[in-house]
Amino acid sequence: MTEIEPVTKVERSADLRYALHLFRQNPLVLVGLTLACGSIAVALLSPFLVNPNSWQITHPALKNCWNNGLFGWGNPNIAACPTVHALGTDSYGRDLLSMIVLAIPLDLQIAFEVVISAVVIGVVFGAIASYAGGIVDEVILRVTDIFLAVPGILLAIVFLVVFGKSIGILTAAVVVIWWPTYVRLVRSQVLSEKERPYVEGLRAMGAGRLRILFRHIVPNSIYPIMVQATLDIGSVILTISALTFIGLSPSPLLPELGNLASLGGQYFFTAPWLIVFPGLTILLISLGFNLLGDGLRDILDPRLRR
Amino acid sequence: MKLYEYAIRRILLMGLVLLGLSLLMFYLTRGFLPPSFALAPYITPRMNSAEKLALAQSLGVATQSCPSFQAFSSYQPSCLVPVYEQYAGWLGNVLKGDWGLTLLPGIAGTQTTLSVFFSRFPFTAELAIMGAILTILIGIPLGIVSATHNNKLPDHLSRIVSLGGYSIPQFWFGYVLLIIFVLYVRVGGLGLLPGSGALATTCAICFRHPGTVSAATGAPILDGLLAGNLRYAWDSLVAMILPAITLSITSIGALTRIVRSSMLEVLRQDYMLLARSKGLTDRVVIYRQALRNALLPAVTVAGLLTAFLFGGVVVIEIVFDLPGVGYTSLQAVNVFDINFIELYVLVTALIIVVTNLAVDIIYAKLDPRIRY
Repeated sequence: MTEIEPVTKVERSADLRYALHLFRQNPLVLVGLTLACGSIAVALLSPFLVNPNSWQITHPALKNCWNNGLFGWGNPNIAACPTVHALGTDSYGRDLLSMIVLAIPLDLQIAFEVVISAVVIGVVFGAIASYAGGIVDEVILRVTDIFLAVPGILLAIVFLVVFGKSIGILTAAVVVIWWPTYVRLVRSQVLSEKERPYVEGLRAMGAGRLRILFRHIVPNSIYPIMVQATLDIGSVILTISALTFIGLSPSPLLPELGNLASLGGQYFFTAPWLIVFPGLTILLISLGFNLLGDGLRDILDPRLRR
Repeated sequence: MKLYEYAIRRILLMGLVLLGLSLLMFYLTRGFLPPSFALAPYITPRMNSAEKLALAQSLGVATQSCPSFQAFSSYQPSCLVPVYEQYAGWLGNVLKGDWGLTLLPGIAGTQTTLSVFFSRFPFTAELAIMGAILTILIGIPLGIVSATHNNKLPDHLSRIVSLGGYSIPQFWFGYVLLIIFVLYVRVGGLGLLPGSGALATTCAICFRHPGTVSAATGAPILDGLLAGNLRYAWDSLVAMILPAITLSITSIGALTRIVRSSMLEVLRQDYMLLARSKGLTDRVVIYRQALRNALLPAVTVAGLLTAFLFGGVVVIEIVFDLPGVGYTSLQAVNVFDINFIELYVLVTALIIVVTNLAVDIIYAKLDPRIRY
């Protein structure tokens, strides 16, 4: 055993060096990593930066005003605030920067909840479908077909209309539209993995089917799922913000990026910052996770090597 | 299996998917919402409770043995018809083309859901088609450049464009375009500005030439062309540019990435080396040999792109205030017009599954390697 150890170590460090080499070749991954980690850091620090309850307090006198000496909007219709607000105030008179800082943890939390739930559902049903085969496989596939036949946002709208508008329902609605992708992905991964010789070896050793499936095959097919999950954090945030933007937010006051942007919809001529900054935040977070996921795929996908 | 056998199998499966979806939609809208919602479009203020009960019974929502409308509204078990029984009746009507009356504000109870939907659908279809054209015109060249200049500056730039398109909130992009073109870059002379004078309405199409062209199809560009009014058609086209760009931004990102990866795959094949060693120029190798093979996999995502485009119209039509089905569907959501929502979801699903089916059959025709 002790003789084998160094060999694996060498392989590992070679892998790591190769990964670092790919990182250097694709500097965009670093940008993605910075944006993604930055947004998570802001989310974690948010309760210390801004009073978590400040979103409930409105200041009608400060509605839609702008006071930032560094940048003017060049429009006489834009009202000036009495005090400095880096990103202006929203239509409830709240400081927009604080609202964005409060919104980032909420959006990220929903996105992580959605992606993790979808991955868990996907792994369970995808693995069962591919391993059981036959009628079980067919039924699971047809059910995913039903969900994939509609643009996700429409299905989520129906869910929110039927079950009411709340953060819980919003999360659940997005899980409902996301899980079929993972079932398909896991299924195809497991199908290709279960033909490998080591599975036959395990079977010959007398390992149980469930043990082979969940202890060996699933962990071995986890990389593409991780890449997809990273990419999906951004897409989920886009979907959630689109839903709250079109008016399906639980409360008009809620500090959620899409909802903050929707407050600016009717004022985009007199208060363009209401749209610009919440949307820019969504773009940066989503771009960060997408760049990271894209780079991870290049690093983890052996087909793309050389 | 022959191609036509495969096609028949696929059409049957498609029917199954649509049936499943209609069942899901029906259970959601009728099983979880109060049964009185189904009555709403038909009730007039002057109806007494006996008439309301008769109405509920004729719609199949209340049982024949239900004693009174009060008993029905308080959900007494003897009055409630099980959802699967309602579904059978509903499915029969729907297959005959009867989707019930609409509950949309202004026309509630007077127009059928089907007529409202199909008077507004051509507009959305036109927008989606323009989005699809832009997607193909921009996405494919960008993907090719990205693959042929792998890991060089053009690749990084097109990666930023495609990932940016994939990461950008569409509603935000639409508003940013509006803010740029309305507040800062005044190109009103071109007519690009959706109403450079009247900012309240961004729908140039509806108000620029009121009443000059009859809405024969409901799709403004087509209407203008049919009426021979080229000015109207041109203005409608110009007014559709910003919404179409906004709509296609996500699918451009998706298509670019797919073309890039399938092109990279093809360029790595041995026959590419052979083509080069024959002395063919890069141009010929890439555009004559590689592109044809690389575009085949890209064709298969047409269904996905259709879903992107038809999912995007809801948000786009709200941002640009356009009178299509996406905008109408939100009005329907606000008044719980379940007939309209069901029709909207099922027609969209039909378009997507038919696109997928057509793509798979065309693909099988194009690629002789595929056997079923």
